[in-house]
Amino acid sequence: MIIGGGVLRYLIIRQKVVLSFLAILLGNSIYCSEFETKIFPILNDNCIPCHNKQDKKGGLYFDNYSGVRALTSDLELVNRADPDESKLLKLISGKDPNTTMPPKGELLTPSEIQIIREWLVAGGEAPSSYDYEFKIKHWAFQIPDHDSPNHKDKSIDYFIEKSLERKGLQLSQEANRRTLYRRAHQVIIGMPPLYDEILSFINDKRQDAWDELIDKLLESHSYGENLASYWLDLVRFGETDGFETNRERPHAWHYRDWVINAFNKDMPYNDFIKYQIAGDSLNEPVGTAFLVAGPVDIVKGQDPLLGLVQRQNELDDFANTTSTTFIGLTLGCARCHDHKFDPISQKDYYAVQAIFSGVHHGNKEIYPSSVERTKLKSLEDQREKKIKRIRTLIRGNLLPPTNSIKNIEPIEGVEVEYVRFEILETKGNSEPCLDELEVYSGEKIISLSTFGVEPTSSGDFKHPLHKLSHINDGLHGNAKSWIADSSKDVWVQLNFPKPVEITKIIWSRDRDGKFSDRLPIRYRIIAGKEGTEEKTIASNIRRADSITTGSLPEFSLLATKVQGNQKEELHLLYSELKTIEKELDIYPKKASVYAGQFTLPKETRLLYRGEPDKPRGLVNPGVIESLGAIEIPSDAGDKERRLKFANWIADKSNPLTARVMVNRIWQFHFGRGLVATPNDFGRNGVPPTHPELLDWLASEFVNNGWSIKHIHKLILKSRTWKQSSKPTQDGMRLDSQGRLYWRFSPRRARAEVLRDSILKISGSLNQGIGGPGFSAFEIELENVRHYHPRKDYGPNEWRRMIYMTRVRQEKDSVFGVFDCPDGSQSVAMRTSSTTPLQALNLFNSEFVIQQAKLYSEELKSRYQENRERQINGAFKEMFGRLPSEQELELSKNLVESAGINSLTRALFNSNEFTFIY
Amino acid sequence: MITQRTFLNDLSLGLSNIALLSLLSESNALASNRTTLQKAKVAHINPKAKRVLMVFCSGACSHIDTFDYKPDLIKYNGVPMPGAEGLKTFQGEQGNLTRSPWTFKPRGQSGKMISDLIPGIAEHADDMCFIHSLQSKTNTHGPGENFMSTGNILEGYPSVGAWVSWALGSENQNLPAYVAIPDPRGTPQSSVNNWSSGFLPSSHQGTDFNSSNPLRNLFSPSHVNSAADQATKNYLHELNRIHQSKFIGESELEARIKSYSLAARMQLSIPRATDLSNEPRSILKMYGADDSSNKLKSDYAKNCILARKLLEEGVRFVQIFNGAYQTGGEGVSNWDGHKHLFQQYSKHGPVLDQPTAALISDLKSRGLLEDTLVVWCTEFGRMPTFQKGASGRDHNPDGFTAVLMGAGVRAPFSFGSTDSFGYKAIENVVSVYDLHATILAILGLDHEKLTFLHNGFERKLTDVHGHIIHDLLAS
Repeated sequence: MIIGGGVLRYLIIRQKVVLSFLAILLGNSIYCSEFETKIFPILNDNCIPCHNKQDKKGGLYFDNYSGVRALTSDLELVNRADPDESKLLKLISGKDPNTTMPPKGELLTPSEIQIIREWLVAGGEAPSSYDYEFKIKHWAFQIPDHDSPNHKDKSIDYFIEKSLERKGLQLSQEANRRTLYRRAHQVIIGMPPLYDEILSFINDKRQDAWDELIDKLLESHSYGENLASYWLDLVRFGETDGFETNRERPHAWHYRDWVINAFNKDMPYNDFIKYQIAGDSLNEPVGTAFLVAGPVDIVKGQDPLLGLVQRQNELDDFANTTSTTFIGLTLGCARCHDHKFDPISQKDYYAVQAIFSGVHHGNKEIYPSSVERTKLKSLEDQREKKIKRIRTLIRGNLLPPTNSIKNIEPIEGVEVEYVRFEILETKGNSEPCLDELEVYSGEKIISLSTFGVEPTSSGDFKHPLHKLSHINDGLHGNAKSWIADSSKDVWVQLNFPKPVEITKIIWSRDRDGKFSDRLPIRYRIIAGKEGTEEKTIASNIRRADSITTGSLPEFSLLATKVQGNQKEELHLLYSELKTIEKELDIYPKKASVYAGQFTLPKETRLLYRGEPDKPRGLVNPGVIESLGAIEIPSDAGDKERRLKFANWIADKSNPLTARVMVNRIWQFHFGRGLVATPNDFGRNGVPPTHPELLDWLASEFVNNGWSIKHIHKLILKSRTWKQSSKPTQDGMRLDSQGRLYWRFSPRRARAEVLRDSILKISGSLNQGIGGPGFSAFEIELENVRHYHPRKDYGPNEWRRMIYMTRVRQEKDSVFGVFDCPDGSQSVAMRTSSTTPLQALNLFNSEFVIQQAKLYSEELKSRYQENRERQINGAFKEMFGRLPSEQELELSKNLVESAGINSLTRALFNSNEFTFIY
Repeated sequence: MITQRTFLNDLSLGLSNIALLSLLSESNALASNRTTLQKAKVAHINPKAKRVLMVFCSGACSHIDTFDYKPDLIKYNGVPMPGAEGLKTFQGEQGNLTRSPWTFKPRGQSGKMISDLIPGIAEHADDMCFIHSLQSKTNTHGPGENFMSTGNILEGYPSVGAWVSWALGSENQNLPAYVAIPDPRGTPQSSVNNWSSGFLPSSHQGTDFNSSNPLRNLFSPSHVNSAADQATKNYLHELNRIHQSKFIGESELEARIKSYSLAARMQLSIPRATDLSNEPRSILKMYGADDSSNKLKSDYAKNCILARKLLEEGVRFVQIFNGAYQTGGEGVSNWDGHKHLFQQYSKHGPVLDQPTAALISDLKSRGLLEDTLVVWCTEFGRMPTFQKGASGRDHNPDGFTAVLMGAGVRAPFSFGSTDSFGYKAIENVVSVYDLHATILAILGLDHEKLTFLHNGFERKLTDVHGHIIHDLLAS
């Protein structure tokens, strides 16, 4: 381990990092700050090369706090009473006859020895956060200078060629136009081109034909669909809950569309980040679906500890996925203890967890797009205006508002056997209460129980004061009232011993005027008689409050409330209102979106060893301090926390954000990132093969409005990208893995590209975009869901695979084995395995065989019975070329013996079809 | 020629019996670099077992009613459990302590007390090593199964079988290294996560099939003519060869060509394993595969025979499940006996018992038990009390039993114990991590060195926990 003496000097340039470091130092005694400026440089230059945590010469290490403390409290080495007698001082000043430290090279100068002596006298302290220093000097934590003069006039090829030259290699020649055209389609939109397009491109000799092609592909909707499949892997997006029940999440798909659209319109990446963490504050509420895209255990038992553990796991998922996705750092290690490799303390972990303390899984009613929201708002305003005018117009022609003391309902004479009072809604949504329901014939009350009238109800609230018999006992007041057993859709009915004619009903909540709660505000009174149809004889609609609140009644009813020329005005207003409502109807409504539910944050405590039943001190919301602290008040609300955190990540001075994303884009093109561990930019990750290129790309990214398409174009226009994929002897000998980019390394297409390509070639592709996905399964609707692979496929299943509902745990029965992730954890780079199960699925599955057959039909109808033309057609469309003589001969033999279906089936399985090269 | 070459060279330093089959190609920047290096470092020291059979009783099979005999539970039958006032377990409050409806009897030379629920399995008492003091971290089925199968209560982590497949490969070129045999009724609660490859290369996922549900897409649909099928394969091979000549040395292309040959070999070997027509009547009878009065039992018995055949053929890890969730949760078709323990277990016991007992006998008589480790397990235990107002037991993660048998295992032996009612493990408490560490140790793998770098973590089956329980190992 070699540690340069310039670490601190370097850090001082990086103000932000150093500020937080100093803050840590200042918290300790004065000797600690001395440690930084005086002691550390001496240790660093002379001792740490051997005495570090890795080498631990003599069991000693001075590169972190505990190591230094172990040294200075070692009684054999340090004599507290008489420091000059310390063995340590003797060793470093050459006074020990047996050993000298350092054993090689120059001894310490007398003044250096004096500094160490004074330090020991003062107690030999070091700042408790001392080892952070070594963690933060890691390359990825240094703030890149986006305006560095070194970036001027550079290009991707400049950096790549520089590193190739060092190895004695060079870029391969440019691939032929046919190959480039095909590759561009496979890489950018995830599907092969049509043969006719290839031909016209080959013949297009204009200089800017390539640039035009790139623009066209990046503008196509398919581009966003293709890139989104990578992003959904990364954010562990699933459309079921996972765990044992694995229930569907029918409202999760909005996020998929949102991501596709964001990529297609080249949403600035810094905004893209912010919307996903705090979109509810920024008019992009679908974005927060990112936070809750992961699995959740919905089986909650009665055991309180279980609940705590489950909540901790959810919070861990929010915090960890956010950090992994956007800054390529794994926070999870710090759940139980300070991170071993990266400058993330356990406190940092809980500070970040506190950011998400108000976030919960669940659906939210929102308008999926901001354009729709604005239009809708204006329409709704217009509607409100019309309604208000209508209400004003007809007020005064109505019965008084519903009240608790006495409500008179005039009724046109009708003969009844029973009267039912139905309550649809109660003030305060509690169970409704009536102290009396009186029915009159003329001025004579006829409903008392003493007349043999019997009350019935939908259900009674059990209480000594409140009884059903009170409803017609002739006594008033709360103590003589009836309460229903439920808060809405309840009724009470008076049954008359024989038919009677009625003309008025009076009802009240409390005739004594003491209670006004539990008052029915939406009700209707129904009259009935055997042999005739029931009818509504009164309702709250006739009352003034029904006009000032609630929905507007039908026109016919309203019209009865106005007279003379008011009628015309009402008619006009009403028809205008209907026009607006019609327009509103065709607008997308608020939709349920699985974008999370947000509540007041709860307090966050550090958990000893990460165990929920061992809480320790309170932790305020915050960020990873060593990467630049920000101020979030401890009482900040949920939105504020997330918004501040999002801004911190999306700030161009965050050393990780841009680097992590340009690396992902690079990987999208070459199958591997410049940093081979795209989700780990920490010290445990693999360092970049081309650090300067990475930083240059990051600067290009930030300086061009965080445009993802800009980076694509830089890459696609480079000679590096356009190289041939053919192996060369030197290349294979010196760099068989192609890490230096001496060619475009071929790779197997991912599952989505395979499936979509087959559908496109066969002509079956359903080009429907957006909306809910299709399922690859038949779902058994048990409490614990079971997913059985479909047996039949039709156009609905022939959409692009990005629209295949992502069922956690289960994978598509044909293409799932091509390394599809199961949505449990963030996947930044799928493995690319080759297995016999893949061969079996691609060769034998009903899906592929059906497509082979459909494609054969297509060939037959296009080329009639001309076998050679059929074969040529198939090769052209699938490989973008004609068959060689040998291939043609073989193909003819196959078609003759086994039919054209066999040919197309074989071609779908061929290496040439399944590889991007 | 193939990428696997470097890989194999690395492995040959320490690991034996590597098969190409499931490891044809794993190209991931990490996998190809670090993991091969890491794997080379995996010490394969003193392996006692070459392969593993894991019998997983899904739904939490009660230790109280099988292996953990508690005289005090008989004595205090029908009274409240001391100290359990207000105790809330998964489904809520407790009723009284309730003795097992099955009688316990001494078995074998050792006289180990085992219940009459599983008299056949009990016959093997002298070959068994009981761990009576297991504890889980969760009392919920899904996470519990995840934990037992993968060492993590969350999803997305590699199962024990995947780790073993990754570390040791297969002994058989024509079969997957790792096969999961789901119950005839369907999948366990955590479904395929029980045999997930997690972040390990997906080739190490358990290949799942059983005697009634053959491997999907093993053959082309019946409407495809078999001569055409063969002609297509031959043509594909030729076409790929021609293509390959333009990419000399391109190992992934080569691997893909090979994968089709291996697929063809699997088409022969898998039906051989699932075909029971050559099994003698006596074997069918011993397993109960001919029991026409109990279809469930005969189906499970066929799975047990399949398990034996796979082990015989050298499959590295076979995980067989008893209990499923498709055909009814809460104990209807699994061991989750919350409300009607006696009725439900009376049905499940006979399904499990004879076939599993026969499988052990069969392995033993064929000498396979000498280099096969057998693990009987379940996700957690059940309460010694009945649930309030019900006739069944609630979940109990604080004490339960697992059984080890076969290679490298000390037997007859009982390790650890629960309290006098079987509620909590009190003596020599064993975590699931410990169990996993011990399983790996018997295979000669050091659980602390079997690591895989994933998203910044050096992942291990045992996370940062786990101790080998040396007492369980044969001397």
